[in-house]
Amino acid sequence: MGFSMSELKKKTENSSSDTTEDEESGEQKTGVHCCDKKDKGDSGVGMGVLFFIASFAICFLSGWLLFPSLLYSKKEQPFNFNHALHVAETGGCESCHAFRDDGTFAGVPKNSACIECHESQLGETEDEAIFMTEYVEKGIEVPWHIYSKQPDCVFFSHAAHVTGAKMDCVTCHGHIGESTTMKPYQENRITGYSRDIWGENIWGVKKNSWDRMKMDDCAECHQEETGSKGACFQCHK
Amino acid sequence: MKIDRRSFLGLGLGAAAGVTLSPMPWKLTDDSSIWSQNWPWTPVPNDGEITFEDTICTLCPGNCGISVKKVDGRAIKIEGKKGYPVNDGGICLHGISGLQYLYDPSRVQFPMVKSGDTWKQVSWDEAVALVAGKVKELRQKGMAESLACVSATDKGSVAGLYKRLLTSVGSQNFYTLETMEKSWEMLISRIHGLKAFASFDLANSDYVISFGAGFIEGWGSPVTNFIANSSRKERKAKLVQVEYRLSNTAASADTWLPAKPGTEADLALGICSAIISGNLYNAEFIKNAKDFEAFAKFVNEKYAPELVSRTTGIDASKIKAVASEFAKAKSPLAIAGRGKGESAGSLMEFAAVHALNCLTGNINKAGGFWTVERQDTLTWSSLEMDDSATKSYAKSPIGAVDSLVSGVSGSADAGVFSSVVSAVSNQVVTSASLTKLFEVINASEKSPVELLMVYNANPCFTLHNTKAVKAAVNKIPFVVSFSSYMDDTAQLADVILPSHTFLEMSQDIQSGASLAQNITAFSKPVAGPVFDTKHPGDAVIAIAKAVEGTVASSFPWENYQECLESIIGDSFATLSEEGYIASEFTPPAAPIVVDFSIFAGFKGITPLEGEAKSYPLTLMPIDTIRLASATFASSPFAVKTVEDTVLLENDTVIEINPETADKVGVSDGDYALITTPVGEAKVRVNLFDGIMPDVVAIPEGLGHTISGIGQVLRKDGTALTGKKGATSIITVTGGTSKNIGPLENRYIGGKGVNVNDLIGSVVDPASGLDAAWGIRARISKA
Amino acid sequence: MTQDNHGKAYKFGMVIDLDKCTGCGSCMVACMSENNVPFKEDETNKKDSITWMKVFKLTNGKPFPDTDICYMPRPCMHCGGKGDHGHSPCVSVCPATATDYGYDTGIVSQIYTRCFGCRYCMGACPYHARYFNWWDPKWPDGMEEYLSPSVSPRMRGVVEKCSFCYHRYQAARDRAYHEERRDNIEEGEYQTACTQACPAGAITFGDLNNPEHEVSKLVKPDTHQCGKPRNPKAFRLLERLQTNPKVYYISEREWVRKAGDNYRDGEWEKSK
Repeated sequence: MGFSMSELKKKTENSSSDTTEDEESGEQKTGVHCCDKKDKGDSGVGMGVLFFIASFAICFLSGWLLFPSLLYSKKEQPFNFNHALHVAETGGCESCHAFRDDGTFAGVPKNSACIECHESQLGETEDEAIFMTEYVEKGIEVPWHIYSKQPDCVFFSHAAHVTGAKMDCVTCHGHIGESTTMKPYQENRITGYSRDIWGENIWGVKKNSWDRMKMDDCAECHQEETGSKGACFQCHK
Repeated sequence: MKIDRRSFLGLGLGAAAGVTLSPMPWKLTDDSSIWSQNWPWTPVPNDGEITFEDTICTLCPGNCGISVKKVDGRAIKIEGKKGYPVNDGGICLHGISGLQYLYDPSRVQFPMVKSGDTWKQVSWDEAVALVAGKVKELRQKGMAESLACVSATDKGSVAGLYKRLLTSVGSQNFYTLETMEKSWEMLISRIHGLKAFASFDLANSDYVISFGAGFIEGWGSPVTNFIANSSRKERKAKLVQVEYRLSNTAASADTWLPAKPGTEADLALGICSAIISGNLYNAEFIKNAKDFEAFAKFVNEKYAPELVSRTTGIDASKIKAVASEFAKAKSPLAIAGRGKGESAGSLMEFAAVHALNCLTGNINKAGGFWTVERQDTLTWSSLEMDDSATKSYAKSPIGAVDSLVSGVSGSADAGVFSSVVSAVSNQVVTSASLTKLFEVINASEKSPVELLMVYNANPCFTLHNTKAVKAAVNKIPFVVSFSSYMDDTAQLADVILPSHTFLEMSQDIQSGASLAQNITAFSKPVAGPVFDTKHPGDAVIAIAKAVEGTVASSFPWENYQECLESIIGDSFATLSEEGYIASEFTPPAAPIVVDFSIFAGFKGITPLEGEAKSYPLTLMPIDTIRLASATFASSPFAVKTVEDTVLLENDTVIEINPETADKVGVSDGDYALITTPVGEAKVRVNLFDGIMPDVVAIPEGLGHTISGIGQVLRKDGTALTGKKGATSIITVTGGTSKNIGPLENRYIGGKGVNVNDLIGSVVDPASGLDAAWGIRARISKA
Repeated sequence: MTQDNHGKAYKFGMVIDLDKCTGCGSCMVACMSENNVPFKEDETNKKDSITWMKVFKLTNGKPFPDTDICYMPRPCMHCGGKGDHGHSPCVSVCPATATDYGYDTGIVSQIYTRCFGCRYCMGACPYHARYFNWWDPKWPDGMEEYLSPSVSPRMRGVVEKCSFCYHRYQAARDRAYHEERRDNIEEGEYQTACTQACPAGAITFGDLNNPEHEVSKLVKPDTHQCGKPRNPKAFRLLERLQTNPKVYYISEREWVRKAGDNYRDGEWEKSK
């Protein structure tokens, strides 16, 4: 990202530099007149304002518009997965995203869980065909990109939240269960984290509890619910 | 239109304001702080479902039950198996390190053939054909008796297959390592006339005298002993340790008797004398013993506590006190086998110690000494031998020794004993001695062994006088190693057919090392195979099939699995399902015979090599549980736990008493040169009050060579490289620097001195086994 | 900071019977294997050799044959600090809040991603229980396979130490939540790797706040004196510093107990 940023700066500089260079060289040649020019008046202020506005606009807009697209790389999921359809068929999140007997959370199910229903192709979608031929038949697990994947230093207990605190999935994960398509996975080029950790909003503003999954968001909720942000070891390893 | 400084100012300010009001700097600050916490080269282990799979650890003869913890099918940790009769959840540090043996990149990764200094990858078919071709050739020449095999033990089906291969070809040259187990077995046959191995019910004994046995240093079944040792307080049991040095066992014992090294047997007989003269022995048990009167007379005359006190340095009163406590204990037990018991030791030392067990009669009872008859749980189908094989097989093994009285006969002291040759052992038992084999090879102009197979053994490291052993191995025209690692012996091989590690293979296991029950266990693969290795049983079957003829027809199984199922028979289903079958010992129906005539002509144990004048000190190898000293080298984890008073940088640290140091002129941390009749080495010095003056202790398990490995070429001609293609420089013992190649284990290899470079073999006339337990030495400041 | 344990605070501690310890090293390796502790080619410089659990060898200093030795396993002491208020020596000096006292468990945490390697904590720790990563950890090719996902591998430039296998506590809590027992963890459900591995059964681990737990029974901690042991055979290391460790040692041998602290002339006799 550092690379693209400097390139961006270069571009803005170059766009307004043609004239500048000429002027500069001219000035150097006629150094004596330099002082005289000052007296000549206020046109410089006007130009300054103009330059201010122009560069402000460029930087401001690129920071808001260009920067996010440069910061994140986009990856398509191996094939589309229709959550809404599966929820309707199976009855809820827990039927696939289940707890193991030891209380750990299994996360995204493995093929072995899928083929409990998908022994053979059930529907006629192309996505299912890809799943069956490319993954089930070849015995390869689907390399899903996990939107909510937390970094290695984080320990998160689903059991404490879902079973213990009786929270529902939507509070953190949003209405993914109602989606029919999978949005592209966006990875932060600097940190390697999913965009969904920081949230879709580049400024970090969240409207819903599921918009962000940063440590501050955990702490905020913990402060409200338990009266304490919690100790470091509770969530870090 | 004029562009002046203010324009630039405007430009800069505008850019700054624009950037500040955009999310860019704030997001970048956050992202870069996260970036700074995560380095791409720091591994991130994958998460997944946790499962456990049980098997048996075979790194030592203890054979603990282990649970391999897996995450998403990937083995990540080894823990002790709860409820397993050997270790009940406990585990030693080597067992925990098992996965370092499995994933070790310095393993032999594929079959290789040596050509000059280079190892070349070959396919398994080629390797098998090469070995089988040599065997065939020897058979055709009628020289099948020049085939030999070394294996750590002859227990179990895998060792059985190697032995079967030799037999079917026509060779008796099957050698096993000489450990205390062999000495005990021999002693039982001599004193009790039984074909049985020794077992010790340490967990139920209330009074144990250990004559140098490293009860908690790795002797017998280490974890069983740890458990027995720590329950001692609750059981109100006592442990007496006879040892010249405050070992961990001595430190943990209730009484420490620091007898001079080499006088342990004297002390045992002194205790016998005190028991007999105090009439404290079990008269009922001993009443039918042969030559008991003679033995009593002998010990009372020559080993009265007052006399023994002079040689051992232990007060006579102390000897009498221990004798009385021992004899009065409910289930007293005397044990022998120095350190880990990895050396055979002097048979007469075992005899002297076992006399104590005979006097109390605590034999084949709870908390006592057990004679356990060898169970032949394996039923092999009969074997076919053609004429050539039969002819070769008739020849006696190379390095055969008679394990009977040869050292005793004709001795003047035999007078009081009724006969020189005892009633129970009046047959000469001929067995093949590994030490003798290498001696014979070195003594012959042309090696009588044409082809040597080495399975689950590292004789070039574990045998005394490694220099001579290596010379002998080098003299053998064709050496086949089945090692998973480039160990000291594999480095000298001509072809390596790498075996699976214990975690990658199934096999049957006969637990015997000092347990109080019979356990037949079944291990199963829990990982891998990580490299292109093979089950050693499969390798032998493949070789036999390629030799063709009657050899092939003696191996009718498709593979090892089929062989195992057929030879284990009915219990296979139970074994593979339950993992093990344990049965309590049952005492033999007939009353046990005791024969003391072995003491006819007893003159102490085998002496040390070297004369006292030029070698005033005694060098003793010491065992520590933290260093593996048998077939397997220590893992990186184990080496990490080794104290800097044992290994410092690449130097072995010897242990001497401050008094000795003053005498010799060295101080703590100094470099010293240690010289024995066999070799010399530069070491560092550690002063320790707990060791007897004039004794030098040197740790076992160090000094693995890595210098003989050379380049390894893959099939496609590319060289196998070390870690990420890099070579690093380390200093190999001796002070020369060397580039480190791919299969060199830098975590243990090249560190320290091998004790066996300094100690020569001393053949025990009573057993024919190598009985060296130390050597005379001198040290000087280096 | 308030408790985040629904009102119930544990105080996990360890009792090590030095008369049972044989110095076999199983605890050290069990710890390394459990916690992804790295290793180098040369580990003989014990100052830079990372061993969360380290077994020290003590001697009584007497000449042969009156010499005696004792092995002393040393994990992190998880000090409660003066008054047992959670101001552990290391926690008080950390400028990055990378090490922190857990009031719900009594466990002193170490967060590697937070640590920037100033090593103040190492200077503050009187037990040398903290180790600095002078180098990036390097596993021989392929050995990364055995790394556990429960503990993050560390990077160069951070301090690490024993965590009382905190991830095992978390796993036990996961199971308890899943079985709807909330955080009601049984004694046997949360045991450290060293405790589990010790073949001599010398290490006992549990909740010092729970009188039913074996650790409490063994040392009988005096709650009015910040957990000072009431068992006369039990002691804590450097008791006089008032660091209030949660690791206790037991020995019948007087010289061993005396070795647990520094005493002025005659002070030991008086203290008995």
